[in-house]
Amino acid sequence: MGAAPAARPPFARPASRSALRHVIDLKVSSVEKSPLVAGLGLVWRRQSVLWWIFLVNLVLAGMGAAVLMGQLSPMLDQSLESHVFVRSFNPIAFSALMLEAQGFSSVGTAAACLVFVFFVFVLFVEGGLLEVYRLDRRLTKGEFFQASGRFFWRFVRLLILMLIVLIPVGIINNLSTRASQAVDERVPSPVPGIWVRLIGLLVVLFLMQAVRLWFDMAQVRAVAENERAIRRALARAFKITLGNFGSLYWMYLRISVAAWLMMAVLLWVWVRVVRPEWIGVSFLLTQLMALSWLGTRLWQRASETIWYRRKQLPVLKELESPPASVPALELEPEAVDFSI
Amino acid sequence: MLVLVLAGTVGAGAAAQKEAQRETTQALSTRVVAYQIEARLDPVKKTVDATETLTYHNLTGRPLDTFPFHLYLNAFQPTSTFMREVRLYGTRGTGPESAWDAKHFGAIEVKSFQVEGQGDFTKHLEFTQPDDHNPEDHTVFQVKLAKPVAPGADVVFKIAFHDQLPEVVERTGYKRNFFMVAQWFPKVGVWWHDAWNCHQFRALSEFFADFGTFDVQATVPENYVVGSTGDLVSTVSNRDHTKTITWHAEDIHDFAWTASPDYRLIEDAWPGSAGTVHIHLLLSPGHESSVRRYLEVIKGTLDRFDKWYGPYPYDRITLVDPPQGGLAAGGMEYPTLITCGTTWWMPEGLRGIELVTEHEFGHQYWYGMVATNEFEEAWMDEGINSYTEAKVMESLYGKGTSMLNLWGMQADDADMLRMEYLSRPDTDPLSRFAWQFMNSDAYAAVSYGKTATMLLTLEGIIGEDTLRRAMHTYFMRYRFTHPTAADFVRTVDEVSGQNLDGFFQQALYGTNLLDYEVLALRSDPLEWFRRPPAKPQKGSTVYRDTVLVHRKGDFILPVEVRIKFDNGEQVIEKWEGRDRWVRYSYDKKARVISAEIDPRHTVRLDKNFFNNSSTEEPDRRATHKLTMYWLFAVQYMSQLLAWLA
Repeated sequence: MGAAPAARPPFARPASRSALRHVIDLKVSSVEKSPLVAGLGLVWRRQSVLWWIFLVNLVLAGMGAAVLMGQLSPMLDQSLESHVFVRSFNPIAFSALMLEAQGFSSVGTAAACLVFVFFVFVLFVEGGLLEVYRLDRRLTKGEFFQASGRFFWRFVRLLILMLIVLIPVGIINNLSTRASQAVDERVPSPVPGIWVRLIGLLVVLFLMQAVRLWFDMAQVRAVAENERAIRRALARAFKITLGNFGSLYWMYLRISVAAWLMMAVLLWVWVRVVRPEWIGVSFLLTQLMALSWLGTRLWQRASETIWYRRKQLPVLKELESPPASVPALELEPEAVDFSI
Repeated sequence: MLVLVLAGTVGAGAAAQKEAQRETTQALSTRVVAYQIEARLDPVKKTVDATETLTYHNLTGRPLDTFPFHLYLNAFQPTSTFMREVRLYGTRGTGPESAWDAKHFGAIEVKSFQVEGQGDFTKHLEFTQPDDHNPEDHTVFQVKLAKPVAPGADVVFKIAFHDQLPEVVERTGYKRNFFMVAQWFPKVGVWWHDAWNCHQFRALSEFFADFGTFDVQATVPENYVVGSTGDLVSTVSNRDHTKTITWHAEDIHDFAWTASPDYRLIEDAWPGSAGTVHIHLLLSPGHESSVRRYLEVIKGTLDRFDKWYGPYPYDRITLVDPPQGGLAAGGMEYPTLITCGTTWWMPEGLRGIELVTEHEFGHQYWYGMVATNEFEEAWMDEGINSYTEAKVMESLYGKGTSMLNLWGMQADDADMLRMEYLSRPDTDPLSRFAWQFMNSDAYAAVSYGKTATMLLTLEGIIGEDTLRRAMHTYFMRYRFTHPTAADFVRTVDEVSGQNLDGFFQQALYGTNLLDYEVLALRSDPLEWFRRPPAKPQKGSTVYRDTVLVHRKGDFILPVEVRIKFDNGEQVIEKWEGRDRWVRYSYDKKARVISAEIDPRHTVRLDKNFFNNSSTEEPDRRATHKLTMYWLFAVQYMSQLLAWLA
C-alpha cells in the first residue's frame, strides 16, 4: 500500500505572477525543443549546480592528492632523478618510487574514503539537483539543502533497491564470463570467446543503463510528485520507463555516447597532442574530462526531468487554467547570492 | 621471404626433407648420450606410449654400475616434492592456492627396462630422492647393473614407457588438441664433479643433461601439424590415418615436440654467420596479427647474438605459439625450439611478444649451448639470459622504450628487471640452489632480476664493450660444455684484466643491499661572522660548500659523485665507499647547486635512485605531475561510483 503524495513543505507558497510567467515562457519554449536539447539548455542555464558539484569533486580528490603529494615531495623535489616523470611517465620508475615511499597504503585508503564521501555527497544533493531542474530556477542555499535533505533518505532507499535489482545483472555478467570461458575451453582461437564476452558485456551494459534509467525516473518522479512511498514511485517509474522505453533509452544512450566520445577525444588529445612536460595543460585537460563526464551525467538528469514534465505532467493544461489552480510552486521571489 | 603454409606437416615436401636429411656431422659437443625414441600420441587419452633406446658412453674415466634417470612428469602428482613446494609457495605463475585438479596431474611409467647384454631390470628399478628423501617423490629412479660399464665403453638401455600428459602445467602437456610434449622421456643424469648429478624435479628448478644425439619418431593423427627440436628426416603416412614423423638432432641435451591440427606453419629464414637458419613459426588461430612481430624479433635477436656472442650453429629454430588457454605452455626453451606467447589484444607498444621470444631464444645460448646446471646455478642461465635480453631489447627497440612505449608511457626492459630484483632484493644470494630460495618470488627476483642488474652494473665498472667481449669469450669457450660460476667469473676477470672478486663476492654470494644517498648540501659564507652580515654577491662571496654522501646499504662499491656549482663549474669525486659516509668540502666563490652519486647511471644495483642526488633548488614538476594524475584518478573513480547515487 503506497501513501498518497505528501503535502508540499511549509516554505512553499503561491508563485508571484511574474515568476509564473517566467516558468510558462520557459516551458513553452522548451516544448519546441527535444528533451535532449532542452536538457542541455537546462544544464547550461543552471550551470552553477554543475560547478558546485564539480568543485566538491575537485576538492575531495585534491585532499586525496595532497596525501600523495606529502609522500612524493620529500623524495622528488630535490632529486635529479625526478626527470623520469617530467619528460614521460615511466610506470616502472613509479613502482620503484612507491617501493621506497613509506606508507603509500595510506594514500590509497585516503582516496577510497574520499571517493565514498563524494558518493554520499552526490546521493545527498541529488534531491536538490532535481528540484533545481524541475523548477528551472535558482534556489537559495536553504531551499536547495532543504530539498536535498527531504529526498535524501528516499534516495538511500532507492539506492538499496537498485543494488538489489542489480544483483541479477551481476549474475548475468558472471554467466557471460563463464560462457566466454567455456567457449575458450572448447576452441583454440580466442576470437569466439571474445565475441561472447563482448556481447555479454553489451547486454550487461544495456541492462545497467536500463536499470539506471528506471531509477532515475523514480527519483525524478519522487521529486516531481513529492512521493514518499518509494516502492510506489519505483513501480510507477517502472511503468513509465517501460511504456516509453524507446524514447527514454535513446535519449539516455545518446548522452552516454556523447560522454564516451568526449572522453575519448580528450584522452586522445592528452596522449597525442599534449607533451609530457606540459603539466599545466595536462591539468586543464584532465579537469575538462572530469567536468565533461559530470556534465553529461547532469545532462541526463536534466533531460529526464524535462521529459517527465512534458510527458507525465499535464503542465500546459494546468498553466492554461486560472492562476488559483496552479500548483503552489515553492518559488522565492528573489534568489540569494549563494544560490545553486 | 615469408612463406605461408596453411596446413600440413612442418617442412613437408621432398625438398625440405632432402635438406633436412643430414648425415651426422663433426661433433660440436662431447656426445655422451644417443637417444632413439619411437613414440605414439593418443590425442583422445592424452597419452604417449614410447620405446627408448639410450646408448650411454662412459666418459667418466671410471667404471659405472649405477645409473640415475629423471622421470620429470611424475612431478605432477599430488604427493611429489614438486607439488609440496607448489603448495608451499607456488611456482612460476602459479600460486599455492591454484586449483590443481586431476586434469593437471601427469605421470610417466616405465613399463620395461632392459640393459643390452645384461637382461631385464624392470623389477630392480628403485625410486630415489637425493634432495629431500620424500618417499612419495618419483621423479628420479636408479638402476644398479649386474656388471659395471667400463671407462670408455658403451651401455645400451632399452626402455618402454607410458606418459600421461597433464593439461598444460609448467610448460608441458595438452590443451584440447594442442600438445606440448616436453620432459617426457626417461632421461639419464649427468656425471659431474665425480658424482651423479640427478636432482628431483622441484617447483623452482629446471633441467640439466648431457649432450648427444637424438633420433625420434612420433606417430600422430595425419591432420596434425607438428614441430620439434632438431631436423625433420621423413614423414610417412600410415594406413590408420596417422603419420609417422622422424627427426634427427645433434649436439643437444633435450628433445621436445609439439602437435596440433590448428597450427598454421609460417616459414622464414635468416642468413647467419654459420649458415642459413630456417625459422618455423607454428601459429595458433587468432594470433595472425602477431606474425610480423614474432618474425621481426627472432631475426633481430639472431642477428644480435650472432654479432655479439657467437654464431648460432643449428640450421633451424622453431617458434611455438600456444593457443588460447594454452599459455601455460608458453615461455619455455628447448634446444632449437622455443615456446612463446601472445594475446589477440597485445598492442604494438607493449613488447610482451618480443620479450618472451627474445628471452627464450637467448636460452639457445645460455642453457642450450652453454649448458649450465639449472638446478644448482639458475642465475647462469636465467640471469645471464635476462642480461642479454635487456641488451638485445634495447638494441632492437630503443633505450628507454624497450619494454613499453605506449600512450605516453615508456619503460625499459632493464628497468623492469631491476624492479623485479627490488621486489625481493635481500632474501637469497644468487649462488643458491634453485629450490633453496625463500619462495618463487625470491627465486625470480634474484635469479632473473638481480643477475641482470648485477651485470648491467658490471658494465659500468669494466665497460660495455669489455663485458660484451667477455660474454663472447665465455660463450665460445664454454659452448657445448657445463661451465660453473667460477668459469664465468674467471672469464670476466681475464678479459677485463681486472680482479673483480670484491664485486662478485658481494653480488654473487652475498645479500647485501647497495644504496647510496646524498644526505646534505650546504653553502655557508666563509665570513658568516661579519656584522652586519655582508650581502651575498654572486661571483665574489666566498662560500664553504659541503656535500655529505652516505652509504646506506652494506654493499660496498666505488662510486663517482658529481658536484655542480652555480658558476657552471663541476667536480667529479671518486669515493671508494668503504666508510659509511664522506663529506666533500670546497671554498669557492660559488654555491653548490647539486650533487649526484653515479651521474652516469651505471650502478644499477643501487636500490633507490631517487636519493642519489640532491639539488639546492627544488623542482616540483614531477611531484605536481604525479599528484595531478592521482587527482584525476580519484576524481574519475568518485564520479564512476557516484553513477550509482
